[in-house]
Amino acid sequence: MQKIGVLLPRSTYYETISFDIYEGLKLGLEAIGEKDIKIVTENIGFGADKQQCYRSAEKLLLEENVSLVLAFIGHRTAELLRPLFLAANKILIVLDAGANLPNEWPTCANIFYHSLHNSLGAWLTAQKASNDGYKKGAMVTGYYDGGYLHTYSISKSFEDAGGTIFFNHATGYKENDFTMEPLQHYINENSDSAFLSLFSGDFVQWYFKELKSRFSNQNLPIYLTPFGFEETMLENAVFPSNLVSGIVSWSKKIENKENKLFIETIEASGRKPNLFSLISWEAASIVTKVLELLIEQKNNIPKIASELQKFEFNGPRGKIYFDEKTNTTISDLYEVRLIEKNGMSEIELGKRVNNIKEEFDKLCELSLNNVTSAWYNSYTCI
Amino acid sequence: MENKKKIVLLCGGKFAFKALQLLAYEKFLFGVAIGKGTEIINDALESACEENKIAFKSFPNKASISEMKTWINNLQPDYIFSISFPFLIPEDVLMYGKDKFINFHPGPLPRYRGVMPIFEVLKNQESETAIGVHFMNANFDEGNIIFNDPVLIEKEDTYGTLTVKLSNRVAQVALNMANMLQFASKIPNYPQDENEAYYYEKPQFSDTYINWKRMDSEEILSLINACNPWNNGADTTFMGEQAKIIAAKHCNKPHNNSRPGTIIAITEENTITVACSDNKQIAIAILSTDEGIMTAKQFSNKVNIIGNTFN
Repeated sequence: MQKIGVLLPRSTYYETISFDIYEGLKLGLEAIGEKDIKIVTENIGFGADKQQCYRSAEKLLLEENVSLVLAFIGHRTAELLRPLFLAANKILIVLDAGANLPNEWPTCANIFYHSLHNSLGAWLTAQKASNDGYKKGAMVTGYYDGGYLHTYSISKSFEDAGGTIFFNHATGYKENDFTMEPLQHYINENSDSAFLSLFSGDFVQWYFKELKSRFSNQNLPIYLTPFGFEETMLENAVFPSNLVSGIVSWSKKIENKENKLFIETIEASGRKPNLFSLISWEAASIVTKVLELLIEQKNNIPKIASELQKFEFNGPRGKIYFDEKTNTTISDLYEVRLIEKNGMSEIELGKRVNNIKEEFDKLCELSLNNVTSAWYNSYTCI
Repeated sequence: MENKKKIVLLCGGKFAFKALQLLAYEKFLFGVAIGKGTEIINDALESACEENKIAFKSFPNKASISEMKTWINNLQPDYIFSISFPFLIPEDVLMYGKDKFINFHPGPLPRYRGVMPIFEVLKNQESETAIGVHFMNANFDEGNIIFNDPVLIEKEDTYGTLTVKLSNRVAQVALNMANMLQFASKIPNYPQDENEAYYYEKPQFSDTYINWKRMDSEEILSLINACNPWNNGADTTFMGEQAKIIAAKHCNKPHNNSRPGTIIAITEENTITVACSDNKQIAIAILSTDEGIMTAKQFSNKVNIIGNTFN
């Protein structure tokens, strides 16, 4: 029996994140007929403790002798683990929220990224705001979400499209400190501004609540990224405005047979499908391919990487394939708008975004000019 | 707060400075030694170390290495890193501790041992190089490999651009290694495969000389890039005088079997195109002669060059 390792995070607002990732992977493997793979897990907390991340990965590789490791981590933590995977001649599959930019760190044959593309979604949602006619923008985020490079992506994209960011607001990360009060004055002076917003988890609910209580009749044009539209959080988020729109990387409403199977299987196990079970469910296809290549290419990592770069498969989001320059998966993204359901929020799925690969390439070519994210936390793990 | 490992860095100059800064910023740097440093660099490093309460020592020549054992024994670091340190560390110094000395070699090991792997990988038209991280023994570049950290080579990379790229990368690789030493319970490593090993001696004139008859256009361009800037270009001769070609690029035109090295034309972009043995041409932009460094246009103004040959 083959053994694979998984580094599982924890999150205060996504309390079930580790179960979602584990179940998604297990059920995903079963769905493609792989029942003889043992999954060994290690806990990495929020992903911010370097020693815990390193020791957990080391344990999986050197004590458990797993064939490969999956980890819900960001690029910075992947860089911390890079020498270990190079030295051990093993492959790391990063389950990546996509909150940072792939070009911040160099690639190597041992590390592949399966992404939920929050930064690419940010890039596209800012373009959407511009296409909707907005030339003025306000960037609204929090101390936590604002620390990832999707902030650079959303603002750069809006500016590249001819817009100008006139106002930045980063609120606190504790509920008592969380406020949209500073927007009040700006809105009075700038009624024609788009609100480019970066929030995840509970922060989305707090944001909508603040918008509803402070600006209820103003229908502010709010633009959100994929994690701002995470559907299990939206179920408990008040409906704030008729003009909330943006980009998602996945929704329960995507209609294809792969998404139907994913949703039915996860629900049958007693869980709610979400972005975390989705990413590990999809990763099951990458895992089986890597295991096959490990045998076929006799553990020669550069050859495995070169074959894996050509690998593509259909998942709940549609076709998934790798960008060879960054070893990152590319998948469809969709336009959405927010609709009301019993006073709460729900998404209405719009059209699939065209030219995803071209837009991803443009995002990766952004000159970073020493812009960097110092968060080690796996995104959404706080 | 965690107790950081105490690391001494042995370096040879500018190439290691980014690594010095990053290791110091992350509080790993405990001591710095420089080999064959110039007075200006030594002074600058010494004051920076003094300000940051980091030990400093200069080893100006091979003889001074005899002082290293005492220096290290007094400091008692956890590990000693070496980045482009010019001298071989003697066995009595290495006896300070097994697997305590780690070298960061600017080329993939064991295939590119030697003093100038950056020149060799470019000359050999590799698409990727690496920082080879290995435990040190009493021979250059020979101890057990910990990992080779890959670095992509772009088509237009020169010795200069690749050196800067590797200098930036070696900083992060050194930090990654320091973190590894900080957190690991065991450092995986393996002996170098001697069947794959090759030691490149310091390039001689024959290594930097363009053989127009035997080398194709790709080989010539790679050699030119590999010689820029450290050798002031790839060596050639023109009308009996020594010359060096500093910058050139592809020119997508055949030349109908002219003798390799023959100057075919002066282009609108002010380059001069030269016939190569594979019926392709290269376009030279900058070169140097005894008169100094000049553009191809300045060179073409000196004499009637069309039809003349580089040898």
